[in-house]
Amino acid sequence: MCNHNHDEKNNCFEYVESHMPPMPLSLVVNGEMVHELADPTMTLLNFLRTRLKLFGAKEGCGEGECGACTIIMDGRTVTSCLILALEAQGSNITTVEGLSKDGELSILQQEFIRDDGLQCGFCTPGMLMSARNLLDRNPNPTVEEVKEGLAGNFCRCTGYQPIIDAVLSAAKREREELK
Amino acid sequence: MLSKFDYYRPDSLEKGLTYLQNHSDTKILAGGTDLMLLLRNNAVICEHILDIKDIPETKILEYTPGKGLFIGASIPVNRIAEEDVIREKYPALCHAADSLGSYLVRNRATLVGNICHASPGADTSAPLLVYDAKVHIASSEGIRILNLPDFFTGVKKTAVKENEIVLGVSLPDVEFGDTSIYLRKARIKGHDLCNVGLAMRLTASKEVYVALAAVEPIPLRLTELEKSLATKELNPELGPWIQEEIKKYMNPRRGSLRSSREFRLHIGGVLAKRGLLELIEKGATEYVQS
Repeated sequence: MCNHNHDEKNNCFEYVESHMPPMPLSLVVNGEMVHELADPTMTLLNFLRTRLKLFGAKEGCGEGECGACTIIMDGRTVTSCLILALEAQGSNITTVEGLSKDGELSILQQEFIRDDGLQCGFCTPGMLMSARNLLDRNPNPTVEEVKEGLAGNFCRCTGYQPIIDAVLSAAKREREELK
Repeated sequence: MLSKFDYYRPDSLEKGLTYLQNHSDTKILAGGTDLMLLLRNNAVICEHILDIKDIPETKILEYTPGKGLFIGASIPVNRIAEEDVIREKYPALCHAADSLGSYLVRNRATLVGNICHASPGADTSAPLLVYDAKVHIASSEGIRILNLPDFFTGVKKTAVKENEIVLGVSLPDVEFGDTSIYLRKARIKGHDLCNVGLAMRLTASKEVYVALAAVEPIPLRLTELEKSLATKELNPELGPWIQEEIKKYMNPRRGSLRSSREFRLHIGGVLAKRGLLELIEKGATEYVQS
């Protein structure tokens, strides 16, 4: 959140504390319990990036349009830029940092690399979270279902096709591993 | 963000209403997909945020046979889209819930928030209109129930007062054989605001109800069109007739960002024809005059 005045509607990436009394916040992030104090005006995205130093979720538009800040909150994908940190009281959050296990990338992440599902990488954490949630809901999606599932995540580099390929091949590999 | 607010999340309606009484300049937060944006752009400046997601009355999503459906103010749109009973009984509402924003936004956005924000193009407003939805509004004086057409008072304006909390919307029960459809035209296939949204319902007694979103300052129920439809025999030949007829009841403004007046009129006609033909296919073809 920035300190621009009324006339300037531009967003900037600098978070400015409101100096309102901070409030206690407890939540589970990537399997670990977190107890922190949060500024009431702080978004969940600000909280993850500034307090917890989890830089995976990115601030793209700050308006819930681009999906770069996507995280999974209580089993549902959400844009963390549109949520106040205090709203996440008691919730269970997974960010892109929670996808890998013991330093090993998940199948989905491996397939993104293999299929060139990323170029600049800015949208990738959000894409991965939406794709993860999609595959949890639907382990065998069609191309159309993948497109629909990733509709809230913008990518300005890849043209989407490699991302769709990556999600489909990850789905296939995950199904084979379950057999 | 210029707003310097504190945050309060009551666990009962009474606490929430007391807080509203004692704190002026409070904004109510449910899904937050509209409010956070306004706060960020400094279009709204407030001192207090009242989060209603823990108030039990707002967490209700329940269908009772004979009584109908109640959707609480904290229910995200995706939960409505996923609910089988709503898909079966109120299909237009599911179609609209499916088409609002993107999947990510629908996980947070609430149906009640969508109507409280009162954007002319609120997708869920048209289906709620054809189902004669009622809005339940609580204040310290008690609960008042408003018909949806009385709820919208202008562009992004509603009849909700400063000291009131909208608890939810209720839809009357529908009979067997009642069906509906929601069609929208946006600029792109992905998530986008609609140029025209049209909800159409065919009741069990073969009456047709029509409502439009995004055409006028407030979502509109076309009662006059419904009256002239009631005098006609319901068959596929009505398609071209309604395509022209609906334009008489539409008055889209000029100079809109998303589409011209002419385009909206044309699309309104196309959607009305398409909707009617699909409804006739779904329902019976013989029209019984009421």
